[in-house]
Amino acid sequence: MRSAELKEADAGDAVPICSLRVGNGLYGIETRQIREVLGTTVPRRVPLAPVYIAGVLPYRGEVLTTVSFRALLGLEKRDGANCVLVFDDEGNEERFGLIVDGVVGVIAVQQNALEANPSGLDARSQELFDGAYKLPSGLMVRLDPQRLRPSRLAESGLFGSESGPHGRLKQERQGEQR
Amino acid sequence: MGLKVVGQEPDKGDVEDLTKEFLAESQEGLERMELCLTQLEKKPDDEELVAEIFRAVHTIKGTTGFLGFGRLEKLAHAGESLLGALRDHRLAVSTELISGLLELMDGLRGILQTIEVTGTEGERTSDNDSALIARLLDLRDGGPVAKAAPASQNRAPFDKFSPGTSTNVAQCSSQSPSHDEVLSALPAAAPGVAMAAAPSMQDKTLRIDVDVLNRMMNLVGDLVLTRNQILRSKPGAENFPELARRLDSVTAELRESVMLARMQPVGYLFRKFPRLVRDLAATCGRQVRIEFEGQDTGLDKSLIEAVRDPLTHAVRNAVDHGIEPPQERIETGKPVEGVVRLRAYHQSGSIVIEVSDDGAGISTEHVLHMATERGLVTSEQAASMTQHEALQLVFVAGFSTAKQVTSISGRGMGMDVVRTNVERVGGSVELESQLGSGTTLRMRVPLTLAIVPALVVRSGGESFALPQNSLVELVYVPRHEAEQAVERMGTTELYRLRESLLPLVWLDRLLGLEHSADAEKHDFYIAVVESEGCRFGLVVDDLKAPEEIVVKPLSSELREIGVFSGATVLGNGTLALILDVAATGARAGVHPAEEGIVVDAKPAEDETARIEMENSMVIYETGEHMSSQGGDSGRMAMPLSAVERIESVPLSEIEYASGRAVLQYRGELLPLEDDGNVLRALAEAEATASVGDAQKDVRTATVLICLRPEAHGARRVGMVVRRVLDVSAGRLLAADAAASGEQLAIVKDRVTTVHRGFAQQAGKPRTAVLMEVA
Repeated sequence: MRSAELKEADAGDAVPICSLRVGNGLYGIETRQIREVLGTTVPRRVPLAPVYIAGVLPYRGEVLTTVSFRALLGLEKRDGANCVLVFDDEGNEERFGLIVDGVVGVIAVQQNALEANPSGLDARSQELFDGAYKLPSGLMVRLDPQRLRPSRLAESGLFGSESGPHGRLKQERQGEQR
Repeated sequence: MGLKVVGQEPDKGDVEDLTKEFLAESQEGLERMELCLTQLEKKPDDEELVAEIFRAVHTIKGTTGFLGFGRLEKLAHAGESLLGALRDHRLAVSTELISGLLELMDGLRGILQTIEVTGTEGERTSDNDSALIARLLDLRDGGPVAKAAPASQNRAPFDKFSPGTSTNVAQCSSQSPSHDEVLSALPAAAPGVAMAAAPSMQDKTLRIDVDVLNRMMNLVGDLVLTRNQILRSKPGAENFPELARRLDSVTAELRESVMLARMQPVGYLFRKFPRLVRDLAATCGRQVRIEFEGQDTGLDKSLIEAVRDPLTHAVRNAVDHGIEPPQERIETGKPVEGVVRLRAYHQSGSIVIEVSDDGAGISTEHVLHMATERGLVTSEQAASMTQHEALQLVFVAGFSTAKQVTSISGRGMGMDVVRTNVERVGGSVELESQLGSGTTLRMRVPLTLAIVPALVVRSGGESFALPQNSLVELVYVPRHEAEQAVERMGTTELYRLRESLLPLVWLDRLLGLEHSADAEKHDFYIAVVESEGCRFGLVVDDLKAPEEIVVKPLSSELREIGVFSGATVLGNGTLALILDVAATGARAGVHPAEEGIVVDAKPAEDETARIEMENSMVIYETGEHMSSQGGDSGRMAMPLSAVERIESVPLSEIEYASGRAVLQYRGELLPLEDDGNVLRALAEAEATASVGDAQKDVRTATVLICLRPEAHGARRVGMVVRRVLDVSAGRLLAADAAASGEQLAIVKDRVTTVHRGFAQQAGKPRTAVLMEVA
């Protein structure tokens, strides 16, 4: 399958795409947008943070905020191996990590295989996805790291930026009062 | 024009380097010139100042020729010839002259900025140059002094705020230089522009003493050597501890010297303000004098940059809105000239920079009115706010918007920007104001950005770092006391700490971490913390070692949570979040107002600890014969403030000189007082023990190192006691004749004798150290 895709890529205007696995889905990000891929790491959880923030990691003398793609898709937490993709913002101001289940590999895909988001997509998916590549083996959803920036996710307000624990605490307190 | 280089054209890279160097040098020169000019206005006869200014302009002129900046050279030349006349006493210092020179400086600076941004001098405003040159020449020849073009005069202050990108601001103000317009342009444009502007050359360069640099280089050499040795040594090598120690000391020294190199006197920041205030006062029609204090206070370079904009903003506010117009000042009986005072000083591990004015002050009612109008607080909230709380509202984002600025007579414009900038570097801001007599803005910034001593605590299975500067004390609550220790008032949980009630905050519950249902069934620690007037007990599961942590900023989304001020990598390589104590308290609903339930502590934040100290007494036991005299089993007390340290001293170290026990303590000879004959008892015990026991039983005596107040100052004495019982709040009883001159106090509900000689130190109610005399 892979060789078939590669052959197709040779045909001309192709871009290298890093393909990722999250849950049962296949996703792809252009390799030039990825700064680094880190192996399995367990980020330090940040209490009270929005659910899609997986935690923080030490990275090159800085603290890297990581986004859990599983949480964005509404999937359950999963233990075991994972991968952290590190992205730089265009202005180099916001560096962040994206936690995925695993990296499959790098494939070259022709630009004309890309199709924009279909109109029937729900708001969350509309926000996260950047079209899909029609591969012979199936669809590979294209992701744009710029859309996955933590600040942008917070702005969109679609992903439960209201931190759960705080609400829970309030309820607890009210319960105590009664 | 300029020097023609014969032969090969200089390499492009070389020219670029030269230009960079020239820019940095010239900026510095202009900065000095600016300071000298404002001083010259006050001291017109100072030849040193004139020489300094001449040098700055001359250097620029000299270098420009070589680099081929013709426009700059022309202007500098005109300036130089004017200054030459001044130096040779052909001219006298006048306000016009100073204004002209300041304009020259602005002109030079403008061209320098253009060069920095575009690499060329630019041609667009060359007409302005010739007007300026003509004016300078007029000044030199003492000819008719053309009135300065209003445009350039008004532009001056704006240029200062928005280096490089000031065109819009300058244009809008030059077209309509009316007072109101100017004010509305200021807040709207300045903060944004100033924050957005790329740091200029000067912000990126730093002068370092070569000695410091050499020392750093030596240390780095040492570091490399140590690394080599470590790499070469086998695991478990014998000399490993020594290598580790060496690495530790080299790192510490290196860090210290880097910090030192980064330190700059705050005066560097203050330098530009005389000019700023001069221009601004003229624009606003105020008479303002600026005063400085503590310019030598050192501050990290990056922090200097960080507080530059907030400070500028604060000074501008003070002149714009703090100081009243002359007429108003006369009416209220104040001196016509207002004073803006900049003060920098150290306070408990941080640097405080104060901007105070003797102006109109801020009306809290007005602030509250505005805040309710904007929907920032409800009117009920507003009604229950203290004056201090109300004032802090001006820091809330959205308190004022550019549109309404002209109608506000208070401050608050862009104050949220001030706060954000200061907080970004781990500092805090507070505002104090007395209606009618002035306002003080206090910015508190840490000494250095990077490294903070902190205590690592565990809660809910995770590590958190607690900055030491907010930590007051630690209380361990053992398991069997855990249930009784926590008392409840409504939903608030409290702990009785030395007879005062301390609100408790369970960190794991606050952060929504998993905690065992019977959290109170195991032992825990209470970290008594205090910040911004809030004092509360933070309940944590365990304490880890205190560490010096390197603070790393969090991304903005995580900062928004508010509870964490940063993160750090701990010694074991894991990350720990740094708790923002004030925000934690606020989140848990602990307000400074709750201080009311604390019995003996006062809310004034810095005072609290001190008062606590004064009220505290060390309670101890002294020797047997005291107990036979009826003194409660030798229970005595001593004001805590008189006790410097409590030391455990091996008996062998106690020496006797002509029958009196003395101790060599930190290079001084300390006489020991042993009222209870503890030493003899200990010596006897040791003698009997050592007969049967070959193993040497090192007996130690507990010694309170006390400062005894005497007629000529204070003298240290050591007080030998059997054991120290407790530290507790106590109340002195009025000395009364019946008690045979003995000073008594009630400590822990029991009457206790206060050690003679120390009673007078116990003026107010105190806590005492209880001790037992054998």
